[in-house]
Amino acid sequence: MVENGVRTAHVLVIGSGGAGVRAAIEAARHGSVTLLSKTIAGKGGCTPMAEGGYNAVLREGDAPELHIADTLKGGAYLNDPALVEALVREAPDRVRELVAWGAVFDVGPGGGVAQRPFGGQQFARTCYAGDRTGHEMMQTLMDRLAATDTRVVHECAAVELLLDGDRCAGAAALDREGELAVYLADAVVIATGGGTQVYDISTNSSSGTGDGYALGYRAGAELIDMEMVQFHPTGAIHPYDARGRLVTEAVRGEGGRLINDRGERFMSRYDPERMELSTRDVVARAIATEILEGRGTPRGGVWLDVTHLPPRQVEERLPIMLEQFLAFGVDIRTEPMEVAPTAHHIMGGLRITPDCATTVPGLFACGECSGGVHGANRLGGNALAETQVFGRRAGLSAGTSPERNGEVTPAIERQLGALRERFDGYLDGDEPPGGVVRRLKTTMWNGAGIFRERDGLARALAEIEVLRNERLAALTERNLIECCTAVNMVLVGSLICRAALLRPECRGAHTRRDPSCELPPDRSPYGHTHLSLVDEGIVEAAS
Amino acid sequence: MTAVTIRVSRFEPASGEPARLVPYTVEVNEGARVLQALHAVHEQDPTLSYRYCCGSGQCGSCAVRVNGKPALACMTPVAEGDVIEPLDLPVVRDLAVDLVPRLERIAALMPGGDGALPDAETVDRLKELCDCIECGSCISVCPAVAVTDFAGPTAMRQLERLGLDPRDAGDRIDQADADGLFACTSCHACYEACPKDIQIMGKAIERLRAEAHRRGMTLPRHAEVADLVRTTGRSVARTITPLFEQVDAVIEPNGPVRGEVAFFVGCMYAMRLPETALDAIEVLRRNGIRVIIPREQVCCGSPLIRTGQLEDLARLQAVNRETFAPYPVVMTMCAGCGATLKNDYVDLPFRVMDFNEVLSEFGIEPPARLPLTVTYHDPCHLLRGQGISEQPRALIRTVADLVEMPAYCCGSGGGVKAGRPDEAAALGERRGEAIAATGAGQVITSCPFCEFHIRSHTDRPVRHVASLLLEGYRAEDREAG
Repeated sequence: MVENGVRTAHVLVIGSGGAGVRAAIEAARHGSVTLLSKTIAGKGGCTPMAEGGYNAVLREGDAPELHIADTLKGGAYLNDPALVEALVREAPDRVRELVAWGAVFDVGPGGGVAQRPFGGQQFARTCYAGDRTGHEMMQTLMDRLAATDTRVVHECAAVELLLDGDRCAGAAALDREGELAVYLADAVVIATGGGTQVYDISTNSSSGTGDGYALGYRAGAELIDMEMVQFHPTGAIHPYDARGRLVTEAVRGEGGRLINDRGERFMSRYDPERMELSTRDVVARAIATEILEGRGTPRGGVWLDVTHLPPRQVEERLPIMLEQFLAFGVDIRTEPMEVAPTAHHIMGGLRITPDCATTVPGLFACGECSGGVHGANRLGGNALAETQVFGRRAGLSAGTSPERNGEVTPAIERQLGALRERFDGYLDGDEPPGGVVRRLKTTMWNGAGIFRERDGLARALAEIEVLRNERLAALTERNLIECCTAVNMVLVGSLICRAALLRPECRGAHTRRDPSCELPPDRSPYGHTHLSLVDEGIVEAAS
Repeated sequence: MTAVTIRVSRFEPASGEPARLVPYTVEVNEGARVLQALHAVHEQDPTLSYRYCCGSGQCGSCAVRVNGKPALACMTPVAEGDVIEPLDLPVVRDLAVDLVPRLERIAALMPGGDGALPDAETVDRLKELCDCIECGSCISVCPAVAVTDFAGPTAMRQLERLGLDPRDAGDRIDQADADGLFACTSCHACYEACPKDIQIMGKAIERLRAEAHRRGMTLPRHAEVADLVRTTGRSVARTITPLFEQVDAVIEPNGPVRGEVAFFVGCMYAMRLPETALDAIEVLRRNGIRVIIPREQVCCGSPLIRTGQLEDLARLQAVNRETFAPYPVVMTMCAGCGATLKNDYVDLPFRVMDFNEVLSEFGIEPPARLPLTVTYHDPCHLLRGQGISEQPRALIRTVADLVEMPAYCCGSGGGVKAGRPDEAAALGERRGEAIAATGAGQVITSCPFCEFHIRSHTDRPVRHVASLLLEGYRAEDREAG
């Protein structure tokens, strides 16, 4: 029995960020759609926080081949080429579509969407709306969503995918009151975003807890490259509670300079050609190295300086940065920002085809919860483009899935029974989930951060195993979701550490200190790491 | 880590009990925001309901009231003794309000036109309306929302944003009219509450009203006022002897001249409440200030600007500019005129000062204290239009005991009293109730619109600061014999 009734739709979309909403808009052209959002829809996820921009080939002088080459090189050639191809070929149409739907991008010289340089690109191809690009996209997408018949369920969190045989048939969710709700669908799109909240220092919104990786893994889906965690080079470090807050790459795109405590523009030692606009993995390692070797600021960061830019440029192009730093007493027009790396993006995720099919029938994925688009390191500006290109593709694939008119089968009934037993355990538990999450964050930051080694990863995994066995406690039904989230986060931490142990090389964002990193990435013998309920390993080419 | 004690509003709908403030003492880091304190409270008591998401002021999930004022919990430093309450909207539980129904009244763009990005000039105009994070703060403080079906300030912002966009196919003026375009009292509470500092009245509502006017949708009473201004230079019809005919053009002080102001009287004090203006002149004379009243002055234009009828505005502004050009200090005592001269005139060759500012800056002879307890009604166009709140209070305290009441609009501004009298009356009644709750014997204010309107909604005398001061001086004179 399902006390709360069963809701059905042709397509169930889980997640209300840029990818999920785009998927729902597309799927709604083909049938009924329900969109589950664990926040008020439109406010959650990382899209509304995305500042810098959206990469698309729009202008004379740029070419898809250049964007593909930049993305592959930036990704240390670990990207899935078919996904990169789709990203690059369709990103321009998707941004034009956003414009037609009303997005207020900045206007470039000579009209059309303005573009600025971002790291690792041969051409200034990052479209932007000041430094609130994602917010503008989200407003536009929510407008479009409102014009469809999509049923938006706010503040209702998916806690488990439901399987009918090997096929995904829907999801179980907890609503705001902590009541179990069951959603059945012919096809399910998982668009839950990333999960760097598993790290102590992270740019992610509170919803970046990696639920999609955990839901997919438990449902039997395969994940790839989970060790590939991007540390954004520039996060705020002060005050303590603001640590990790994103300082957009647009700051460097506009001409910002990185300077250590000795006044040296240190990027000249790491990438003299591209300097501050090198790729994020390189810049993050450079900053971390400066700090580790004692050339950091007293608070443990480096300086990011735009005081040489005209104040008007800062005000017009970086208004959110100006506002956020002013709120903490720093006027970036006259003083440098103090920054350090912060966990930002998980390049790995659910393995998908270019049509966004996961390895579980009936289950599609798009956006940050999927893997393979960005390889071992993501270029700034490629994530927002990914949300739109693959959001549409996932919505199309799910929307055109055959109708099945599923119902609550005995198999689903059993899963719901198991879920209720889990909930009863939480209501009877003794360990507050907040403490478990805090311990996980510290463990991950110390053991699976920018620089990694086997022993540290193994120790982190051992600690994670301890956390996994804690008897999580929910005081009321409304706290059940906190336990479910903590369980997901612990699982995501485990996936990252296990994948990091599987990859015995330095590649992109994954820096192992123990094995040597002799080979250039384009000649690495290694392919994707992969993890699933039944198997894990790394692809190794026969030499 | 340091300990702070904050009080948090707790409300459980199923309990049938009203909300109550519960103190919590929590450890927070240096520089912590309200949100971190709430996280710490939640660790102590996991039953606390509150919303948050991005933690960096970009998603608008965590707006609450901190010490009575809307603020984003994630961006507001926490301080000892802070009182954290939900926004003044229907509460779901504790600090979580029922936001979605309000957000659903914000219009969505309907794609039309050729779908191309507008030119840079249009985009610049759109951008200043695009920063809204839909936190609900403006809706929660809007007096019109409280008593009418007004869709709310940010809904008007969105309609102006859509109306400006060539890609939008909707008719946003008709929609604005249906959603309560003329309900806004121009109190600027929305601007004060907005974490993104969007000036919704000036940048959206006045512009929508101007467009509605071009389409002939001006309310009949507003059109009558504009006709009056066009034909007489005044927004108030002559029914009594105007102030200008009761006094000389130059009024010398009683004693030595300590200062001089040119008096911008305004239509209400000139044509309807001249006795209040006479009280002010008398107070200025006692304090050594020469008052010059140029006869050529005309309406400041505020009733036209607030209702979108801009045809005669430039002429009025030119006359006033020229009339007052010879004087270094121009004094207003109408909050609306003062805010208009300060905010809607560009590069005036003189300094505009409100009556309360003039007296505070020159200093006053202390009046006798009266055995009176009064409350003060902040005129919106003085408090938020000019940032003046302390000066009138200090002046009042020289004469009487002051008890405070919450500052919100009485309903007389923005053309609402003339155009939507039921709404104005409903807001006036709320004011009357707030006044009664203070137990004060009199209401002091500093705006003729408020003075005139509140009189209909309270049994207490409603008077200008000047009239109270003058009463103090007269008592002083009597005591001196």
